[in-house]
Amino acid sequence: MPSPMALNPPSRSPSIFKKKKSFSQLSSMTTAASYLSAVHQADTRARSHDNSSVSSTPALSLSSSVTASSEDTVLNEDDENNCLAYPFTPPTSEQVFTTVHTEFGHCANEAYRCVSKHDYSKPVQEHAIEEPPYYILLTTYISYLILLCFGHMRDFFGKRFTKSYFTHLMPHNGYAPLNSDFDSFYTRRLKRRMDDCFSQPVTGVAGRTIVILDRYSTDNNHTQIFTGSKTRALNISSYNYLGFAQARGGCADAVEESIRRYGVSTCGTRLESGSSELHASAEALVARFIGMEDALISSMGFATNSTFIPALVGKGSLVISDELNHASIRVGVRHSHAQVRMFKHNDMASLECLLREVISQGQPKTHRPWKKILVIVEGLYSMEGTLVNLPRIVELKQKYKFFLFVDEAHSIGALGPHGRGVTDYFNIPPRSIDVLMGTFTKSFGAAGGYIAGPKILIDALRLRGHSGSYAEAMTPPVLTQVVSSMVSIMGVAPSSQSTKSSLILSPASSIVTLKDSAEELPGMAPPSMLPTWMNLHPALADGSEARMRIRRLAFNSRYLHQGLKKLGFITYGHPFSPIVPLLVFNPGKMSMFSRMMRSRSTPIVVVVVAYPATPLVTSRVRFCVSAAHTKEDIDMVLRACDEVGGILDLKHGVGERWGIDEVCKRAVELVHSV
Amino acid sequence: MDSSTSVALEPLLSFLAFSLSQIESGFYRIPGSAVVARYVKSSHQNDPGRTILELILVIFAIRTLLQSRTRTDRSGKHFIRFSEKEIDELVDEWVPEPLVQPLSEWEQKDLNSVPVIAGPNGPKPKLLATGKIVTNLASFNFAGLAGNEKVKERALETLQKYGLGSCGPPGFYGTIDVHLDLERDIAEFLGTEASILYSQGFSTISSVIPAFCKRGDIIVADRSVNFAIQKGILISRSTVRWFDHNDLKSLEDTLISVEKDRKKRKGPLTRRFIITEGIFERDGEMVDLPKLVELKLKYKYRLIMDESISFGTMGRTGRGLTELYNVPASQIDMLVGSVANGLCSAGGFCAGSAIVVDHQRINGTSFVFSASMPALLATSGSEAITLLRNNPSVLLNLQDNIRAIRAVLEKTEGITLLGHRASPIIHFCLRTQQQSLSVTQSTYDHEAEERILQDIVDDSVANGVLLTRAKHLRGQEMIESRPTIRIAASAALTRKEVEKAAGVVKASVTRILSKRR
Repeated sequence: MPSPMALNPPSRSPSIFKKKKSFSQLSSMTTAASYLSAVHQADTRARSHDNSSVSSTPALSLSSSVTASSEDTVLNEDDENNCLAYPFTPPTSEQVFTTVHTEFGHCANEAYRCVSKHDYSKPVQEHAIEEPPYYILLTTYISYLILLCFGHMRDFFGKRFTKSYFTHLMPHNGYAPLNSDFDSFYTRRLKRRMDDCFSQPVTGVAGRTIVILDRYSTDNNHTQIFTGSKTRALNISSYNYLGFAQARGGCADAVEESIRRYGVSTCGTRLESGSSELHASAEALVARFIGMEDALISSMGFATNSTFIPALVGKGSLVISDELNHASIRVGVRHSHAQVRMFKHNDMASLECLLREVISQGQPKTHRPWKKILVIVEGLYSMEGTLVNLPRIVELKQKYKFFLFVDEAHSIGALGPHGRGVTDYFNIPPRSIDVLMGTFTKSFGAAGGYIAGPKILIDALRLRGHSGSYAEAMTPPVLTQVVSSMVSIMGVAPSSQSTKSSLILSPASSIVTLKDSAEELPGMAPPSMLPTWMNLHPALADGSEARMRIRRLAFNSRYLHQGLKKLGFITYGHPFSPIVPLLVFNPGKMSMFSRMMRSRSTPIVVVVVAYPATPLVTSRVRFCVSAAHTKEDIDMVLRACDEVGGILDLKHGVGERWGIDEVCKRAVELVHSV
Repeated sequence: MDSSTSVALEPLLSFLAFSLSQIESGFYRIPGSAVVARYVKSSHQNDPGRTILELILVIFAIRTLLQSRTRTDRSGKHFIRFSEKEIDELVDEWVPEPLVQPLSEWEQKDLNSVPVIAGPNGPKPKLLATGKIVTNLASFNFAGLAGNEKVKERALETLQKYGLGSCGPPGFYGTIDVHLDLERDIAEFLGTEASILYSQGFSTISSVIPAFCKRGDIIVADRSVNFAIQKGILISRSTVRWFDHNDLKSLEDTLISVEKDRKKRKGPLTRRFIITEGIFERDGEMVDLPKLVELKLKYKYRLIMDESISFGTMGRTGRGLTELYNVPASQIDMLVGSVANGLCSAGGFCAGSAIVVDHQRINGTSFVFSASMPALLATSGSEAITLLRNNPSVLLNLQDNIRAIRAVLEKTEGITLLGHRASPIIHFCLRTQQQSLSVTQSTYDHEAEERILQDIVDDSVANGVLLTRAKHLRGQEMIESRPTIRIAASAALTRKEVEKAAGVVKASVTRILSKRR
């Protein structure tokens, strides 16, 4: 259902595309005036209103003086929703923000920061699952039963009376049905009922806020019709952990320069003349960032697993995989012809038991010893928000001599005091792990993935992995986004320390010999590692902005997590995880939750996930917190959850409960309490 | 004695009789129990053995239900029980192989010889190693779109509005309007109902195939299909029948024999697919599309065709083989193409009917589980389609250049040109004593040929023409193909430049081969 405020036709203003000047020039001139006037208005609003509730703040009417400015980057053409467009607390004259508030929220309060780091005085948290009351489980099963019965009834009658809808499910004209009605039953009869909550098309930047294209359906979600209007909503769904999804700022400027210099493609595979100098320098930088000897880059995150795992293991090898590992890992293992065994999610006892069994038994039937055993785990699990028990696995690795592959798709950038992922969080040397894999889609606001490890391994993968010979190389704009965001997390070392000559790029692989400081983590990036044309903003270059991002993310994650708990919800996952799943159980509540959040006066878009991505009963809402969110944004989410959750009867958690106002007021205390 | 025992047992017996009658009456109170009892009674009367059999069945069913569902070898007959101490010893004894075998000397050389381009890639890139400008006969820049100013401008505009990353899979707010636009553009360009965009060309078809082909389905595929298709077929677990490379007679024979098999076994109607490529990546052969479509319709197969090379290069405006042969694209059930190769951007697509496309939105593994492609790459693709539509002369240039290259290389001693004469990729391999034109049948020393070809590549790079061997993963491909050098023609070069470059290649071939003799 489109939000009521989206029904107003968007006011036309000259497109921002017409600008030829870069943003850095603009921001100092025309935007300053319009920005100040916008800020003034927000200030007046904040003063005149009792600041008890954010969502009830009346929408600010746009004064003509603001919209008249054609070069306005604070306000976009479709911004009716000013709760999201302006910071709740207006900035003072000393505070300078270089980001656009809708992409990356303004938050100057240093109290709203936190450091994500493992406290070794406490044991590693086990994966605890809080159970709902029995009646919830019962009603959930009954809901599915009713859905199944209705679905089958509709199939039964539909096949007889409305044949046109079923042609692709029935044999016709000598062709077998394209997909069996049994296989597609779940999709047709359960998922389609709530298709409006999935695959929502959006436009613009997937930053702190996102603009959704309003749509509706007149035929029970068979087709979706776009109204043509757009709605800006608070985005707590994108994997934008460090908030690098930005159309403005240092990274975007670097990408712009790189498109001008390199174009959009390198026209080929890595081994067949699609390798660019950018690949070599990005790979060297990734290796340094991760703290490994060498790294390689692949143009797609999914393909990083599915095309490089087969080069690691083969017949006679065993892969031990966490039962909740991502689909890409499963596909990769299938491609490899290796045997697979699973262990219970994040359960180290189950892993050890399995290891003892497989090593003592050897290969099935022949009882020959395994050639090698590769344990594949994820750093942070995308559906559960659980963190791998890395210290224990590394201990087990010493004893059982398996190789360890850690998929850091979600944890890289998002965890650890320096954003270096789970190894940084647990303060474990990265080189004690054999293969570290990760993606650039999430924390870096780019696309693709990497694999880091010893040079001998990476070179072999370059040549023997499927991607090198057959898959297109990563494109220059994406590479530049990776380099610029990563460098800003690392910080650039003062240029006096290392000279240009320290970087030696050999044609095929990227060997960067920096022996003295390669071991210590976190290392800063030597200026020679950056492309010569890349001029980063000082706040990016000294790493201060990224440090702020990492700390804001840690605060926001923890705040949302603890806040939801205090409000009485059942959540999963680690308190530092930026992925916060909120359990809703009943399938009907899932779609209602999504719709109610979206149709609030300040819309919030959320991700709901259910079977088959999760077990049948534990349907959930998955929040992905970002550094781009301000504390007020998290307040808003909590407030919305409190209201919606109250109506939908979702508060079944145990433990002490606080009111929403108390949670918002005592946020800092809450974050530092655990 | 007897009586005393019977007296002692009497209360027990009476209790048993009482409880039995209680159970009986209780059982009959359950609705429908009378039917069960009658059934058991009558079946027992007819055949007492059957009662025992059924009892065993019930017990077996209960046992199966109670058994844990996790796969474990613990109860298997091959399981050997060890004490904890023995296990510890076995763990201590076990020495795993290293995770990877280090590169051999040849592999290391191969890796070191990979060219790295400094600055933008295009018709005349600069090499990082030597700093020299070379003529590019290696990169996929068929229509000359690399470095196109209009594409760049469009990408910059998109960057300013959308940023770079999509930060999410298509299902979860990763579907950006520009993705929908490109999907619509591709569908309109080809003339299909719809299309779906994947974020990597290589992963497209290996995800499309298992989305439709399941266990028990029949796939009839060309023996020489590319690696991505092979991987897709592997994942699908379908029954595969192979036909000879680009031999439609062999295809028809296979189709007939499959049909015969089915009739003989009276099997159910299963999904049947023909999988082949438009222009084969491996050797540049082109499929006879009208004949293929005729066969597919006659035997009622669905056709999955990979147009990764032919899309954006063949036909008047680059619509691919469907345009070249004037076959409606809707006749091809799943038309897979590459945005990365044909449109010089990134990603791949599958075009087809709305049902085919929608099915993939939920079942295409690498669509569902991967982040969608960056917005600016999608708009670059859209812009490239507009350029192709508006400048048909570009592809005429491409064909001219192909002819020019072939004309020079055909006259070159010691090599054999492969593939269709209109194919934008031109493979050539060494001519051996057997004079065998077939890539698959001859006997040859693989590594020795690779070395010679690499020498040719190196020599021609030194003389200012960038070439590449067609890289294949030896030992992982289904069939071992003959080592070749692959030339990718480009419309961005003038006829003169192309002829000069082909001349350089010819000279290199002659030089290296004469050195060997």
